[in-house]
Amino acid sequence: MDRFRRFLVSDHAAGWAFILPSVVLILVFGIAPIVWGLILSFQEAGLISPEREWVGLDNYVRIASDPKVRQAAINTIYYTVLFVPTSILAALFVAQALNRRIAFVRFYRLAVFIPVVTSTIATGIMFLWLFDRNYGLANWLLGKIGLGPFGFFEDPDQAMIALVLMTVWGWLGFDTIIYLAALQGVPQELTEAAAIDGAGRWSSFWRVTWPMLGPATLLLVVWSTISAIQLFDEVFFVTKGGPLGRTSVVVFYVYRLAFEQGLGALSLAGYAAAIAYVLFLVILVLTLAQFWLGNRIIHYPS
Amino acid sequence: MKRHHLLVIVAALGLLAACTGGDEDGGASTGETGATSGPAGPVTLTMWHGYTDAEAASLDALLAEWNEANPDIRIEPLFVNNDKALQKLTVALQGGEPPDITYQYGSSLPQLAAAPGLVDLTAWTQQPEVNWEDFVQGARDAATFEGKVLGVPALIDNLAVVYNKTLFDDAGLAYPNDQWTWDDFRAAAKALTDPAEKRFGFSYPMDASEDTVWHYHPLLWQNGGSILTEDGSQAAFNSPEGVEALEVLVGMAVEDGSVFLDMQNSPYTGLFNSGKIGMLVTGPWDLSSFPDVDYGVEILPGFDGDHQTIAGPDMWCVFDNGGGRAQAALEFIAWLTAADQMKTDALATGHLPFRLSVIDDAAFIEGFGAAFPGVDVFAENLANVEQARPVLAAYPQVSEAMGLAIVSAMLGEKDAQSALDEAAAQANDALALAG
Amino acid sequence: MVERPRRRLLPFDPWHLFLAPLSLLMLLPMVWMVVTSLETEAQTFHFPPILWPGTLRFENYLTVIRGSAFGTWFWNTTVVTVAIVLSNLVLCTLASYAFARIRFLGRGVVYLLLLATLMVPIQVVLIPTFLIVKELGLLDHLGALIVPHLASVFGIFMLTQFFRTLPVELEEAARIDGASRLSILLRIVVPLSLPALATLAVIQFMWTWNEFLWPLVTILTNQDAFTLQLGLATFQGSHQTQWHFVAAANIMSMLPMLILFLVAQRYFVRGIASQGLKG
Repeated sequence: MDRFRRFLVSDHAAGWAFILPSVVLILVFGIAPIVWGLILSFQEAGLISPEREWVGLDNYVRIASDPKVRQAAINTIYYTVLFVPTSILAALFVAQALNRRIAFVRFYRLAVFIPVVTSTIATGIMFLWLFDRNYGLANWLLGKIGLGPFGFFEDPDQAMIALVLMTVWGWLGFDTIIYLAALQGVPQELTEAAAIDGAGRWSSFWRVTWPMLGPATLLLVVWSTISAIQLFDEVFFVTKGGPLGRTSVVVFYVYRLAFEQGLGALSLAGYAAAIAYVLFLVILVLTLAQFWLGNRIIHYPS
Repeated sequence: MKRHHLLVIVAALGLLAACTGGDEDGGASTGETGATSGPAGPVTLTMWHGYTDAEAASLDALLAEWNEANPDIRIEPLFVNNDKALQKLTVALQGGEPPDITYQYGSSLPQLAAAPGLVDLTAWTQQPEVNWEDFVQGARDAATFEGKVLGVPALIDNLAVVYNKTLFDDAGLAYPNDQWTWDDFRAAAKALTDPAEKRFGFSYPMDASEDTVWHYHPLLWQNGGSILTEDGSQAAFNSPEGVEALEVLVGMAVEDGSVFLDMQNSPYTGLFNSGKIGMLVTGPWDLSSFPDVDYGVEILPGFDGDHQTIAGPDMWCVFDNGGGRAQAALEFIAWLTAADQMKTDALATGHLPFRLSVIDDAAFIEGFGAAFPGVDVFAENLANVEQARPVLAAYPQVSEAMGLAIVSAMLGEKDAQSALDEAAAQANDALALAG
Repeated sequence: MVERPRRRLLPFDPWHLFLAPLSLLMLLPMVWMVVTSLETEAQTFHFPPILWPGTLRFENYLTVIRGSAFGTWFWNTTVVTVAIVLSNLVLCTLASYAFARIRFLGRGVVYLLLLATLMVPIQVVLIPTFLIVKELGLLDHLGALIVPHLASVFGIFMLTQFFRTLPVELEEAARIDGASRLSILLRIVVPLSLPALATLAVIQFMWTWNEFLWPLVTILTNQDAFTLQLGLATFQGSHQTQWHFVAAANIMSMLPMLILFLVAQRYFVRGIASQGLKG
């Protein structure tokens, strides 16, 4: 009895009491789904009907021969390869520009950051209108400098690039904040010392500043890659995977399989789960590779 | 300390309770099992529909009339967006609580056929008060799956040409008439197109959805082609007739540049209303979106004098929830779709009547056309509905393949023949899979 | 220190030539939305685009509010967001304090397990979480949006890191005086953590307000439970794109986030930067 009372007031009880509500919630809505998802990937299952049929690795095998998965994978890679370098390089340049004590810098920073708080749908609406082939502002402005009208989201070849432009706009502020914080962590003595040694602005940046941005760059590369691979909202709302399926990325295809086609007669939730898991593995491997590579090239401040 | 704990627990419970809410389809009790005979006592039936605005007002008025005259059979409506009606029904069936009556798209029929509790109406259609043969052919066909009647026609529309009279006058063109060929149509579209003004002679839905496809079917059929072979096992739309039909659209889009390629399938209404599009091929549902246009309506142009069109029929489905509710529901449906109620609803909403007896009522049609300009043409156009889309489980995949083919051809990415051939191959795969 | 002579070609810092157009570019979509929201339908379909509509039709905003379910969407989103933010603040604070300060059996393992869930991408858990929510009967109600997010691992992680940076002496002193863990948390730690809590609140607010995929998947047919993002998505499209109304709806949906951002910039920046600096 005494032991029990001591337990009740002990750290163990207190600790568990504090974490219990959160842990229960996360167990139910965070951990259980991960496990269930794996199980689901081995089944043929509908989303609404309770029937489940165990099919082993059939779903995974099917992935290899599904041309739509291949197209989705290619589209996703295309988007990621365009998006990641563009957004990071742009952010680096902009952060440099904002890391100055000039007039209006507070306003400039605000302007760059604001798109971060707009939702994907809000951004989608804005760009659908801006990029409207016939009545959009973009084609009008571009026309003024002699560039032909672009189809943007409506042209099969341009749609993905238009998506990249839109999402870079939306994320620029986020990446810039991270680079700004990192830049402000570069000790001024180092850059000044380089200047004394006669280093030009460019080589001073390359030799002194850039290495110090290693951790931030690594973080941004990992983060941007992961979010690029998981692109969904913009594709669903703005292009619906079109035109002609050219912007159908993997998460969009998974959603389609499970929630648009799998509700009725065709049971595709299991197949969708399998695709999702394969994607997870890809992301995991890619992230680990990036960290490993990154840690080899980065000189961490001692 | 204890107070804090208690407060948190109570708040959490309260939050959870508020979150789960109640089952909003309340009222559909299953009652006694079995029985397709008359209701034992007063029943309240749930009726799902997707009507809004004027349509909803008309339905409410009819329901009030029924409920007053039939206190034993009370109908309770529930609004369910038509696009989601099948989804919601599936969820309800999951929980074992389907509605008594639900509005469904005709294209959902193959999926509905497998739903448990769906009432087979074939025998009921033989009853004299139903007057089944009085419904137009297309509506009856769309409600029949594998020989069984599974729904009652609720709404039917069709495609015709809606044109901007002012733009025609300004260009000095004669209005479309019922002798027009597709060549006439193409010439007019070209004459109405003005790139400087960003004005197009024609608009076409380009989102590769069923909308893209069903705008093409009339041309295919008029030219003598068909979607599938007789036995429904193979695609037949890539025949020379089908290619020729598609080439009309492709010619307008790619060569003439007279088509507004509506990739989002929605700006066209605003554009037409703002005088930026000369002609549309659409249905009566769009007419209310054109308050600023002096529009005219004409039947579709034709190939070789064939002006047939396509119809989009929707229907009421009845589920058997026991206790004689199904029988009561059918009694109500028979009344709702009878000629008198059809006329009342048509005059209030512009819905097309789909009973031959009503269509043949010249006085009514005249009054109808006066109330809703142009709608009389749509009503008479129902007589031009000769064929229906195949009612097959695999149709959505066939449609998807055709949609992509039409879009890629009209974008100039592929020529009509290869686009349709590719689509035919995909369709055949889907048809084979469905067995 | 040698002062390098600067040759000034322009009377101002040349970087303005880059930053000013950039800022314009970043703000242009929103500004253009505002302009469009004040036009008539005919003006929206005018080419070349009308840059200033002359008369400002503020009534477009009223039409949107009165003619659509915008009010419902706004209310739903507010309810869901406030519920989640408050719940997060309470539950994550409790859990984080335990992870940071209390030694209990299994602490390390549980913490790692929670963190591991951060690694898993959304599409993996999307379908199973949907099924779980369906089993709980929450589908098609606001509960489906609220309950799964009542506690967030991100919040726990962020606060745990933060609590660890607080000097432990204050708390130890209070412990010696016999204060309970909870009272130490409430009386000492929380007052010191207001900036971190504000940061969590602001970030969680933004994520929840802007969320789209989860509401899309769980609110199937119940239009009364639509959030702003869902409502906006359906508002535009379905055969009716009236840009002046869509623009008005869009502006109204962005306003709360914009205002919150302007008022609490510091916390947004801190929240985002903290993810970078954790290394």
